[in-house]
Amino acid sequence: MRVKKVLACTLAAATVMSSAAYVSAEETISLTLWGAEEDQTLLGELVEEFKAQYPDQTFDIQIGVESESTAKDTILTDVEAAADVFAFASDQIFDLVNAGALLNLEEYGEVLSMAGKTLDDVKAANVAGSVEAATVDGSLYAFPRAADNGYFLYYDSSVLTEEDVASWDSLLAAAEAAGKQVGMTLASGWYNASFFYGAGFTNALNEDGTTAMDWNGTSPAGYTGVDVVKGMIGIASSPAFMAIADGDITNQIAGGQLCAVVSGTWDAQAAQTAFGDGYAATKLPTFTVAGEQVQQGSVAGYKFVGVNGYSVNSGWAVLLAEFITNESSQQKFFDQRESGPSNSNVLASDAVSANLALSALGKQAEFGVVQNVGGKFWDPSATFGELIAQGNLSADDDAGIQEALDTLVEGVTAPVE
Amino acid sequence: MANQKKGGAVAAVGGFFKSVGGFLSDFGTAFVKGDVFVKLSAVWMGAGYARRRQYAKAVIMTALEAAVIAFTIVFAMQYVPKFGTLGTVTMERVFNMQTMKSEFNDYDNSFSILLFSLFSFVIWAAALVIWMKNIINVYRLQKMDEAGEHINTFREDLHSYIEDKFHITLLTLPVLGITVFTFVPILLLIFVAFTNYDQQHMPPSALFSWTGFTNFLSLFGGGGLTTTFSYAFVRVLGWTLVWAFFATFTTYIGGILLSLLLNSQKTRAPRFWRTLFIITIAVPQFVSLLLVRNFFSNGGIVNTICANIGLTGFLRNIGLVSTSYIPFLSAPGWAHVMIILINIWIGIPYQMLIATGVLMNLPADQLESARVDGAKPYQIFAKITMPYMLFVTGPALVTDFVKNINNFNVIYLLTEGVYTTTNQAMANSQAKEVDLLVTWLFRLTQDYYNYKMASAIGIIVFIICAVFTLFAFNRMIGNGREEDYQ
Repeated sequence: MRVKKVLACTLAAATVMSSAAYVSAEETISLTLWGAEEDQTLLGELVEEFKAQYPDQTFDIQIGVESESTAKDTILTDVEAAADVFAFASDQIFDLVNAGALLNLEEYGEVLSMAGKTLDDVKAANVAGSVEAATVDGSLYAFPRAADNGYFLYYDSSVLTEEDVASWDSLLAAAEAAGKQVGMTLASGWYNASFFYGAGFTNALNEDGTTAMDWNGTSPAGYTGVDVVKGMIGIASSPAFMAIADGDITNQIAGGQLCAVVSGTWDAQAAQTAFGDGYAATKLPTFTVAGEQVQQGSVAGYKFVGVNGYSVNSGWAVLLAEFITNESSQQKFFDQRESGPSNSNVLASDAVSANLALSALGKQAEFGVVQNVGGKFWDPSATFGELIAQGNLSADDDAGIQEALDTLVEGVTAPVE
Repeated sequence: MANQKKGGAVAAVGGFFKSVGGFLSDFGTAFVKGDVFVKLSAVWMGAGYARRRQYAKAVIMTALEAAVIAFTIVFAMQYVPKFGTLGTVTMERVFNMQTMKSEFNDYDNSFSILLFSLFSFVIWAAALVIWMKNIINVYRLQKMDEAGEHINTFREDLHSYIEDKFHITLLTLPVLGITVFTFVPILLLIFVAFTNYDQQHMPPSALFSWTGFTNFLSLFGGGGLTTTFSYAFVRVLGWTLVWAFFATFTTYIGGILLSLLLNSQKTRAPRFWRTLFIITIAVPQFVSLLLVRNFFSNGGIVNTICANIGLTGFLRNIGLVSTSYIPFLSAPGWAHVMIILINIWIGIPYQMLIATGVLMNLPADQLESARVDGAKPYQIFAKITMPYMLFVTGPALVTDFVKNINNFNVIYLLTEGVYTTTNQAMANSQAKEVDLLVTWLFRLTQDYYNYKMASAIGIIVFIICAVFTLFAFNRMIGNGREEDYQ
């Protein structure tokens, strides 16, 4: 590894001395690109287009399979051996930046000018939330590629009306009357945070990598964490509510017992099959907090394409990453893969608005929050959701709920080691 | 009996030190009493052989010496001098717009330093032994020469490696393999436990350093970690031992009973039944366990059936279940029992195979005479079959217990993604009630990059297994119990 780097540096130095040309054309640029298995064909096409953009330069671009959801695990195993350019889900960005696995794109403004752009153009072209999520400590670390990593409500319009799905109370009442159930995952901090975010609670990441969490106090909107939990217990204790294990949602949709479910675009196909003509999707319902109706929030998730901090050909890697995420590429991702774009222009197109799932996601986006949490967040928050799902917390035991919230916050905010 | 056992262990340890001492004194004698060429061999390893006209050996030893020196200068010196600090230079990167490339400084990687230093130490240790052995050998040659004995030619030496020294030829490759693939990684694991290698100190972007016994202190409640880490550790350790005990003995007894049943003359078509049971082995655990996990999940087929036949309702009424489903794999207690039961299902066929083999070799005369004396089948089982089984399969039983302590597959495949703990104190330390030490360790490294604690736990697991194995082996097969069955 060391030898390779020294060699690369010497080579680089030699090229600088031999020619003052802007780019040395004689050298083949080797890059590796990792993307999801189902995107491979499209990525192949995009890479060919990218090569055609720079006919003077010879490339050797290898495309590998690595799912966005597991990119972090694979990359952090050996950063130096990982791909130059890779796709990943937005919640991994802190760990990746922390491990030096992502380039700070602010240093690459000059490179982008080769594609006729500035970094500000990129930021302006994508929806604000996606840029915010890709920004760590004020610097952009990845190019937004998709804005479809969030959840909303699928429902069967032959069972439920639009009024029914406006609030959890009416939703559960209607489902009970129809002998059906409403499903949601509670045992995951990604899903159950939606109740807290809706009531104005927040998470943040501290300088030292620890997670800040205020759920055991009072939110700026004036609700207490205990009130929110009582609202959640009210939902979970309904016989028409089905608490679904994390990762089991698709199975349960196919099971046929559900008339509504909280999930994301990845379940569009399953929901369409299960609900048939009644297939519909909308924003999440409101829920009762301290006697008032509060809009349930959500986690706004994105898919990014980043450049490895240890990439040697980092200039070309940045150009490739930008190319894969530009407007025309995002259009292709939508056309071929039904991937919800983060590019504002593509998002505004008629085709995207006609897509039920994506337009529901768009409606929920208003209430979406970028979830800034570290690794310590997940286990305690999953357990907290499971406590509610299994009915271990009682709605009239304020002290018990407060204690559980305090323990949750203690676990989440614990120092990172 | 106890004294004898102690004596055995002491003798073994003593024997080891004795042979080390013998080797050292041989070396001392050789070096002191050897002639000038023997002494010269300490610097030029081929000297002694060259003097006794073993030129091929002289060349080989010289080449070996040169290789070790080259290894030291070219490779080891990059890493070993930094072993004390595990590196000080952090990565810095500059982007060169002219070449479109990132240029890196010559940064340190704590992990490479640790790994390659350990590797160098192993190489040097081996080189030291060879160097000493070399001096002993050339001194022996000198004495043979003085006594006028025949000194082997190179061809004769080579020949000896397929004759009287054949064991050396056979063992070279395995020993090399064990050193590289087992010994060095274990050394690495041990050393990582004394560093702060975790998510905040992950090479190559950050360096880690030595921290002494801090990790072990926090494992046993000395603070520094989450307040619940030692709480979780004790519980996980407890379940690990309970699990290993039940998983081992249920499948062991079950396997013996099943093979007795299949071997019984009253069983029809024993081959058919045996094949049927072996099919569970033939299907990979990844498939069968994941399927079973889905069967027993909260919304799985078993739950649907139980709800339809009214079992779920009944259990709710008597207060065993508080949820609308039976939490087969998602509540403590339930999950613990289910995991052991499912393990019986996949574990028994293996034990059945072993037991069948052993039962076929049961001394027939003993059985016959017992039967003639009027022993009942139960008595035969308790007095002859079981003691014999225990004697023959005792070592395998010990191995099974140790294997079960580290039985990653069953636990992980059955509970990952299904089991969410409701114990907040456990969750705050990323543990679950159904975790074995090894699955907890896996998630600590895989999801939380907490390599230092994982290593510390790994060492504890190793100590538990080693102590248990030593104790059990000594008890079961030491001290001439073999004679009982001769």
